[in-house]
Amino acid sequence: MTRSSSGNVYVPFGGKVEVVIPQARDISLFRVKTEAPLDYAPGQFFMVSLWGAGEVPISVASLSRDDAVVDLCIRRAGAVTGALHALEAGDTVWLRGPYGNGFPLDTSRGRDVVLVAGGIGLAPLRPLIEWFMENPGDAGRVTLLYGAKSPGEIVFRDEMEQWRDRGIEVLVTVDRAEGGWEGRTGLVTGLWQELRSDLQQATAYICGPEVMIRAAMGELFLLGMPEERIITTLEAHMKCGVGKCGHCYAGPRYICTDGPVFSYREVKSYGLFLSR
Amino acid sequence: MNKILSVCPYCGCGCGLYIHVEDGRITGVSPSRTHPVNRGSLCVKGWNAHEFVAHPDRLETPLIRDAGGFRRATWNEALTLIAERLEGIRAEHGPDSIGVLSSAKCTNEENFLMMKFARAVLGTNNIDHCARLCHSSTVGGLAAAFGSGAMTNSISEIADASLLFVIGSNTTEQHPMIAMHMLAAVDRGATLIVADPRRTQIAEFAHIHLRHRSGTDVALLMGIMNVIVGEGLVDADFVRRRTENFDSFAEELKRFTPAAVEEITGVKANDIRRVARVYAMEKRSMLFYAMGITQHITGVDNVRACANLVMLSGHIGLPMSGINPLRGQNNVQGACDMGALPNVYSGYQKVADPRARRKFERAWRKRLPAAPGLTIMEMMEAARAGRLRAMYVMGENPLLSDPDINHVREAIERMEFLVVQDIFPNETSELADVILPAASFAEKEGTFTNTERRVQLIRRAVAPVGEAMPDGDIICALAARMGYSMSYRGAYEVMEEIALLTPSYGGILHHRLSEGFGLQWPCPDSSHPGTPYLHRKKFAKGLGTFIQVDFLPPDEPPDDDFPFLLTTGRLYFHYHTGTMCRRTAVLEREEPECLVEINPADAERLGLKDRSVVRVTSRRGAIEPRVLVTSRVPEGTVFIPFHFIEAAANVLTNPAMDPGAKIPEYKVCAVRLEKIRT
Amino acid sequence: MKREWILEKNHISYWLRQLRKDRDLVGPLRNEGKDVVFMTVEQIHEVVLDLPASLPSPKEFLFPQYESMLRFNVSGKVPVAGPGAKTVSPGACVECSREGDLLDLADRRRRLVFGVRSCDVSAVRLLDRFFLEGFRDPYYEQRRKNILFVSIVCNNPDPTCFCIGLGTGPYLEEGFDIQLTDLGDRYFVQASSAEGIRTVKDMSFLFRRPRKADLDDQYEVFLSAKARFHKRISLESSRRAILEGRVKDSFWRRVTERCFECGGCVYECPLCTCFTVADRRYPDAVERIRLWDTCLFKGFTRMAGGILPNGKRMLRTKRWFYHKLVHYPEVFDEFGCVGCGRCAVTCPGRIDMATIATEMKGLDLDGSEQRP
Repeated sequence: MTRSSSGNVYVPFGGKVEVVIPQARDISLFRVKTEAPLDYAPGQFFMVSLWGAGEVPISVASLSRDDAVVDLCIRRAGAVTGALHALEAGDTVWLRGPYGNGFPLDTSRGRDVVLVAGGIGLAPLRPLIEWFMENPGDAGRVTLLYGAKSPGEIVFRDEMEQWRDRGIEVLVTVDRAEGGWEGRTGLVTGLWQELRSDLQQATAYICGPEVMIRAAMGELFLLGMPEERIITTLEAHMKCGVGKCGHCYAGPRYICTDGPVFSYREVKSYGLFLSR
Repeated sequence: MNKILSVCPYCGCGCGLYIHVEDGRITGVSPSRTHPVNRGSLCVKGWNAHEFVAHPDRLETPLIRDAGGFRRATWNEALTLIAERLEGIRAEHGPDSIGVLSSAKCTNEENFLMMKFARAVLGTNNIDHCARLCHSSTVGGLAAAFGSGAMTNSISEIADASLLFVIGSNTTEQHPMIAMHMLAAVDRGATLIVADPRRTQIAEFAHIHLRHRSGTDVALLMGIMNVIVGEGLVDADFVRRRTENFDSFAEELKRFTPAAVEEITGVKANDIRRVARVYAMEKRSMLFYAMGITQHITGVDNVRACANLVMLSGHIGLPMSGINPLRGQNNVQGACDMGALPNVYSGYQKVADPRARRKFERAWRKRLPAAPGLTIMEMMEAARAGRLRAMYVMGENPLLSDPDINHVREAIERMEFLVVQDIFPNETSELADVILPAASFAEKEGTFTNTERRVQLIRRAVAPVGEAMPDGDIICALAARMGYSMSYRGAYEVMEEIALLTPSYGGILHHRLSEGFGLQWPCPDSSHPGTPYLHRKKFAKGLGTFIQVDFLPPDEPPDDDFPFLLTTGRLYFHYHTGTMCRRTAVLEREEPECLVEINPADAERLGLKDRSVVRVTSRRGAIEPRVLVTSRVPEGTVFIPFHFIEAAANVLTNPAMDPGAKIPEYKVCAVRLEKIRT
Repeated sequence: MKREWILEKNHISYWLRQLRKDRDLVGPLRNEGKDVVFMTVEQIHEVVLDLPASLPSPKEFLFPQYESMLRFNVSGKVPVAGPGAKTVSPGACVECSREGDLLDLADRRRRLVFGVRSCDVSAVRLLDRFFLEGFRDPYYEQRRKNILFVSIVCNNPDPTCFCIGLGTGPYLEEGFDIQLTDLGDRYFVQASSAEGIRTVKDMSFLFRRPRKADLDDQYEVFLSAKARFHKRISLESSRRAILEGRVKDSFWRRVTERCFECGGCVYECPLCTCFTVADRRYPDAVERIRLWDTCLFKGFTRMAGGILPNGKRMLRTKRWFYHKLVHYPEVFDEFGCVGCGRCAVTCPGRIDMATIATEMKGLDLDGSEQRP
């Protein structure tokens, strides 16, 4: 899994920041290039670190190709992410991974897909969008429902046209309309009726703040989507990423090694929502 | 793997712990299972006391300020510079233009050496330490009443008490291992009474919790005593045989009827009666207090009132019966015992007493100053006025710990020369001319005296980091440069000198301390087993004295402009100015920021939620902490911990002092709150 | 082949002296007449042979409280910590890039820990599964590979001990390195692991084959050991009480009131493994260290922006007991407790496994756990 020659799972490898693309206030996309090709799947994460600052788990925001590049979308929220935000093109960043289980693409094969994202939660779904764009036969109709607090906090805005061009339906809503916003306002969970897919037959991939995940999962279930096809990826405090440090332990599961991707069924039966 | 028995460097409980060492590095700590205080337990700070020792921020070489900031210096260079500057200032402005702050974090030996350095080398009695800010009211108040200002019982007695009266002490958070014994007593059927405006964790276990208004402790205690006298619950025999001045005191009490006291304190008259009856009637009653009593302009009166209460009911001079000030710092008891105070030598022998002075002069072969020196706050005042020109600070951080720190900064900036000797850089050292790197508790030998007067050995587990030296060695090296020889082969030799000159420590010698877990003073000679409880059969001063006290409201009560009462204190996961705990990963993670505690009703009125940012303004300054909404604090009161430089509570606090003890009123000042963002 | 021998007591010093030649010998020593603690043995005669049943857990030799993991040498590129330095300034190390500068600090010292108890050996068996299944923890693995435990059958359990109800003591049938049973003037020696067997065989001249009388005496010790336990606790009935919904949140709230948040139960537990990781920035290097941590602290699960998923103390106490009583059996088919009783020794609030299990036993079937 790791590319450390020592066999020590905690030894990170270096990568160079190729480009930093600001997305919103305190959110930037860091494109990192490594020496050897990286093999990761949508929904997996890397432990990303700077020496002297520490490590944090960051989900992959791109689809793995043969080019040894990974996109990491990072929000400035604490000491480590603050330090990461000081990085510029050419700087070195340290990675371990990829870790975690990734999205179960089998569950959506041949079905319509609903992607539900809130805020920076769009980043972990971006590799799925890329996957469905590049493999149009893999799923049926793919719709992205995306909600942000305000127009200024929409991430990957520049890419949405391209997504639409390549067959993804993109519906965007904001909590607060500002700066001449003429699009939708309101919660992302208010967009179900605009969907043209049969929810009972579709698969949902959800990522965002926990309150949003919780609401979206519950409502999709009530609308008839089976629990095992309502899929999310959870966030947790982590120090190791490999099931040892104990911080992300929830119920009998570790978010890092058993997840971070879980179905609604698992979320409910293991009590994985952190806020209780 | 070596395990070295030592004493926890955090609070006054004095828990025994092992420092684990492998390859010259500390790998952890563990509690002693047979230690009489902690018995196999530790609080979270104790469990994490190993981590800061090797922290990269440790000061490793002397630093001298030059134009571009600080530069590394050799010991020789730094000490020579200090000696020259101090001698120069002394020659020009006299010895009393220099002040010394000793440290309740350092050992007894080091405090003794520092007080010897101040008096015999510098020639000034301007020596004080942070006990001024925590228990100077105790030292003054209890000494006048009984002749000795310390916890009268032992911690191991607590579990067998039948009544515990805890006033102004957040024991579970600030003295966790003492609280452990209290809960054990409650489990065995003891009654627990807590008096505290805040609903602290210990209050959750109380059978009666009195939530009096901050700063009304005298009235509350007088009310309780009024009932004791009025209902004939006085231990008349004890009062007659062991005390004096009862009659005039009883006269004073008459004004404090439960109804009148209810008016002042907000505590129901009936609760006052209940407490009076149960406290007076039980035998084996122990009273405990801490900063909630001492840190007021009436701190000494608060302490005297407590002393009167225990005498009135005869709850003193026996095991499980006494008055127990819980000392904060690991060695604040010892630093006081060692005379790191402006008016006394070690063992509270007065500098103004010619006989005591002669004794020290003969031992030290030096003329000593007779007039008592300045307290911390007076030194700062003198510095502001330009009279105090140099200061030597050992292991203290007045720029975060003292009240009204904007004023303190002004005072320190006016000084010509400031030396700070510490294990970490801190807010005060940023203003220093010379910074000296000291060894931590795990890197040196010596003794700490805990709150129950237990003198215990600490041992060197690892070598000091870099070029750091034990504080005592630094003082001796500096004294030598200033032409006075202070030469000892080790801390044990300093202790021999302490024993020689200090009656209560007369039999306390290192070789005796290494058997068992130390000795409790008074221990007058080398065959004496130590004293678990004080004032048996007679008080240290003979008869106990009822001293008149009167209720005086706080210096700065809330008003229309500043409608909230601010009280300050500590958090469980932190300690004082945070130099150690804020460099400990788990402790800092638990409480990384300053939160102002505010009652839900007040929060709603001001439109505040958890984590809202609020500006807290007093007449002296303003800070901007986040909000924690909790019913722990009563309406109209807010609580702010003083650990955080980012939002330093002591920017706000009132420097008004108790006239006798010169302790500032940290527990009450007036503030207003304004919402900045939710 | 029988892996049982007899060692005369007057040979034990010689044996330990030989074992020490290629290992750090750690054993129980009495500290100035007070506590008995595990330390490196300098004087063999000082090893305490009649040691108390419960000493601090030997977990620290496999998973120490403070352990350096990695060292990243940065040759002067990191600013020196000066006055006012408190935390790592963001971005300070972005220039540090060369992989050759990275050192793995895993401890590979060879150790022999003498005098541990069966409960601790049972705990190590579970630690092995935790640390070495799935991703292998290299720091644990290196220490584990190089350690040998000589355990002693408990014939005098402490009042806090309850291994007997869990099958984790007072003696083990298998899964140990070397197990000694004190027969008065001699030890009954059993070896189970390959390394244990090899270690005994290396000095076979010290040992003799057991005779019938030795076996009888050993059985006698086992019987009397089992008879001496004060506490008989069934964690299975606790587990069932939880699974059947008889343990309500009000129960956890009540027991949690006394929690001092010291972390002692976790630090002392031979099975608790939580840690945190911190970077320490020295002038010439950054050290990545790990430190014992505990799930009983609210900040343990703190999320970005100060959100505390386990803000309530009651939830954290519950999580600790659920982990040991419910989740461990689900994952490992064994309880996350070996009955060593150390949480009872160290908890200032008496919220320990034995006490809680006993209280659960008292719960009424109808769920009225609230007793006056």
